Amino acid sequence: MTDILSWPMIFALMAKQFWPVWVALVLTFALSIRFKRRLGLYGKLFDSPVGMAGFAIVMFWVFTAVFADVIATMPPLDQIGSVKNPLPGTPVVDLKPGQFPWFLLGGDHLARDIFSRMVVGARQVLIIAPAATTFAFIVGITLGLPAGYLGGKLDTVLSFLANLVLAFPVILLFYLLVTPEIVKTGYVIHLWFLGGHLENGVGVGGFTWIASIPNLMAAVLFVFPIIFFGILLNSRFHTNRPKRNLYVGVTLVIGIWAYSGLAFNADPVGVWGMSPNLLNVFVAVVFVNAPTVFRIVRGIVMDIKSRDYVSAAQTRGERSWYIMLWEILPNARGPLIVDYCLRIGYTTILLGTLGFFGLGVSPESPDWGSTINAGSKLLSMIPHPAVVPALALMSLVLGLNLLADGLREESMKD
Amino acid sequence: MSDANTSWDPSKPILEIDHLSISFFTRLREIPAVMDFSCKVMAGESMGLVGESGCGKSTVALAVMRDLGKNGKIVAGSIKFKGRELVTMGDEELRHIRGSEIAMIYQEPMASLNPAMKVGAQLAEVPMIHQGMAQAEAWKLARQIVADVRLPDPDRILNAYPHQLSGGQQQRIVIAMALMSKPALLILDEPTTALDVTVEAGIVDLVKDLGHKYGTSLLFISHNLGLIMDVCDRLCVMYSGEAVETGNVIEVFDTMRHPYTQALFRSIPLPGADKNTRPLISIPGNFPLPHERPNGCNFGPRCDYFQAGRCDAGDIPMSEVPVGDRHATRCLKWAEIDWNAPPAARVVKPKSPIGKVVLKMEDLKKYYSISSGAFGGGTAKVVKANETLSFEAHEGETLAIVGESGCGKSTFAKVLMGLETATSGSIMLFDENVQSTPIQKRNVDTVSSVQMVFQNPFDTLNPSMTVGRQIIRALEVFHYGKSDEAREARMLELMDLVKLPRAFADRMPRQLSGGQKQRVGIARAFAGGAKVVVADEPVSALDVSVQAAVTDLLMDIQRENKTTLLFISHDLSIVRYLSDRVLVMYLGHVVETGTTDQVFQPPYHPYTEALLSAVPVADTKVIRKRIVLEGDIPSAVNPPPGCPFQTRCRWKGQVPDGLCDREMPPVKVLEGGHQIKCHLSDEILSQMEPVIKMAAE
Repeated sequence: MTDILSWPMIFALMAKQFWPVWVALVLTFALSIRFKRRLGLYGKLFDSPVGMAGFAIVMFWVFTAVFADVIATMPPLDQIGSVKNPLPGTPVVDLKPGQFPWFLLGGDHLARDIFSRMVVGARQVLIIAPAATTFAFIVGITLGLPAGYLGGKLDTVLSFLANLVLAFPVILLFYLLVTPEIVKTGYVIHLWFLGGHLENGVGVGGFTWIASIPNLMAAVLFVFPIIFFGILLNSRFHTNRPKRNLYVGVTLVIGIWAYSGLAFNADPVGVWGMSPNLLNVFVAVVFVNAPTVFRIVRGIVMDIKSRDYVSAAQTRGERSWYIMLWEILPNARGPLIVDYCLRIGYTTILLGTLGFFGLGVSPESPDWGSTINAGSKLLSMIPHPAVVPALALMSLVLGLNLLADGLREESMKD
Repeated sequence: MSDANTSWDPSKPILEIDHLSISFFTRLREIPAVMDFSCKVMAGESMGLVGESGCGKSTVALAVMRDLGKNGKIVAGSIKFKGRELVTMGDEELRHIRGSEIAMIYQEPMASLNPAMKVGAQLAEVPMIHQGMAQAEAWKLARQIVADVRLPDPDRILNAYPHQLSGGQQQRIVIAMALMSKPALLILDEPTTALDVTVEAGIVDLVKDLGHKYGTSLLFISHNLGLIMDVCDRLCVMYSGEAVETGNVIEVFDTMRHPYTQALFRSIPLPGADKNTRPLISIPGNFPLPHERPNGCNFGPRCDYFQAGRCDAGDIPMSEVPVGDRHATRCLKWAEIDWNAPPAARVVKPKSPIGKVVLKMEDLKKYYSISSGAFGGGTAKVVKANETLSFEAHEGETLAIVGESGCGKSTFAKVLMGLETATSGSIMLFDENVQSTPIQKRNVDTVSSVQMVFQNPFDTLNPSMTVGRQIIRALEVFHYGKSDEAREARMLELMDLVKLPRAFADRMPRQLSGGQKQRVGIARAFAGGAKVVVADEPVSALDVSVQAAVTDLLMDIQRENKTTLLFISHDLSIVRYLSDRVLVMYLGHVVETGTTDQVFQPPYHPYTEALLSAVPVADTKVIRKRIVLEGDIPSAVNPPPGCPFQTRCRWKGQVPDGLCDREMPPVKVLEGGHQIKCHLSDEILSQMEPVIKMAAE
């Protein structure tokens, strides 16, 4: 038990560790290929080898994130033993019962297991990147539709703002948004009457919110999903009042509830919430991605708005938002889905970059960017702490790009 | 030109296609596109290929060019060009033939020209590549050919970029390019479909003359029987991948020997057809999909003469019709059918009475201002899209609005629908002035009573919503019915009304054929009980056999609902067939209006005369005067002074003092309310001869 494991052994053990992922992948592929003719664009993906490869890599990481607790061999934040930077395959000294006996991919300078950190880190990346991209899409679509469809002054103003954001150096922008000094400066709003009480004329407890730049931006950006889904349902059902009131009402209740939690950290029930660090990163990513999505949507809308079915909707007196959301948007989905996949990839890289600069979530978090940063200090002597998460990041982005390629290729056929 | 020429005997066919079969290979299956196709084109002969979309006519042309793409393969048969086998020819040899001995002209001229190269350079490239001609010499040849295709000011054209030319001029350049190396065979794939009728007439004349001048053989592909008659000596009718009848044009037109050819002729409006007394007969059923072709005769399921057990027994060979000039048909029963029997009993439908005035337009004007600067600066130009438009439309009436692209007919439709507001004038709809009311401010009743049927069936339905859902949406917006169930029921009724199976309600638009989509479009327009329906070229994008069915449907619904139909079209045959009154527009002006008889009989406005003569008629008994207009339609941004038509008018010389150049002609009211906007005196007008005459029987 004292020998270092050979590489084939390491891979065999890792493959064994990933067993839930293999099962899930096989099931997904078997079912998808079986029913591919009934699954629309998703089904067509399985006709393209490139798309399938991309999908397999992406789903590998998705399932890894889902089953991270089962796959990870050790707790990702704990120090195991006292040897610093153990090499891949090193056995764990003074093994406790029930503990996994090897550092499969080695350990870092705090003797934390790299394999487990990589696996758990996937979870971080795969929650933030798609969520932030989705938000960016909602913001971009909500602004891009009217800019393209209505045009005029609105378009000029919005396009100018988008160009402004795009012209600003991204890393600098991140430093501005995410550095602690900026996060802490801002007008403090203290509402003691919300759950607090008065003591000698001074409010104690209750609700406190700092009007810092990231917080203000979150307050603005997080409104968009409520606007988007509200208008979406209202425009569709305004002919049927009771149904409209129900759907829009439910959207508003859930939306405002989530909004209070996410943007102000003031959810009375405590279901919705986001740590301040995460909020900053999230807002920054959405803010940088939304203008690009805006421009893509605007371009597609300008093309589609001259179609006859749009004219047909106009001649039956449909309102603008119905036409934008129900006649134009569904038919713009092809290029948007492709861009969505690519953009998750970009966002993943962006998150890695942020983590690398120490602007990531929390210092000890196992996300890939921070891990690469931590490992980079001894890169020339002990490469494995940085190389492993770097390879993980690369493979996920590669998978997303291949998936986007496959989707593009297949959506262009027939 | 090349040494192959010396070994070729000119009395032999230039192109000989023998039992050709072509298939496309997709992920799922092999799709046979052309089966057992044979034809011969002799030197100097022009051969027409006719058929509906999807019948394989373009595939044959591409096979001759050996340009079937990655998925297409010639699976059997041979194509011999000047005795040389093309099917097995190597790429290097093919490259010498393409563009030099066989040239092809496509439908969309702009797609065939390189937008980044001057016209002259593109033309000169052809002989420089194929014959190694020197540049100066090649430019000289280009200049000569450009003059040959009757383009004015060849030097200016040679130095222009393609986008600086009009569609008609572009197509002439494409033809010039094809002629640069004096090919032995010219393939034209619907060369005029994208052009206006008066421009088309010019191109057709040109192609015919050039064919004679250079002795080029033509393979002319078209869906328009009238055009084929104008251009070709022989034709080949195709149906679902097979040639069904071939022979001399006159012979096939007069004594066709295949039921499909007969059905095709019965479904197109010829002079003399009338919607009430001699309705068109549409071909029942649908064109079979390539992988769903029936056993035996492909046309069997739609044929009136079908005999079970015989027609569907096995493959049917081409059989020669003994008395005839290489006339053959793919029909087992051709000798038994009584070809002169009149079509089966037609239902004579009573003409719907014309009621009170529903829509009245007076002095309607619509100007657009366009600014030229990128930042909204620059001098604003005014496009006069509609000028002093006045007319009335009655209940139950069909009013046709005729004109070529750019004449302002679509702008007029937009103004009427409320998508744009008029600059001045009034639109009275049921005694309510809607001129300055945009659609957002109109009430639901007004909106639902004026609806529109669109031109392009592939664009008229939202591709990501089911058919039923789209009709229900219209019902919802028009506040029809109290519950979802009531609307669902009404939607199914509407599907019945447009003769679509109810099961289609759950389908997506891409699962429907063009004609079926257009029916859904009609159902949607009539969802709110429309009183006025604007039909913007509703059948021009459909196949001939489907056109008749959709037109009839529109007429039936109109008759039942007493709808006023504003039928916008450039196709005078169909206008003559179905309209009660006609309005001819040119460059934003109404140049002539009257009942259908008045407009189609002399006296004409000179533009109407040219338009009538430009429309190809597929009837050998009709004698048509050829009037080919010079030049193109002027731009509405920069209209000519005086009469808008003066730049192309052949009667201009008959008006004294150059009045046409200076003054807008007044509207002249002739007997019976027939109005003509022209300076010509009554005397000259009364001497005009009819453009279309029936030959003495």
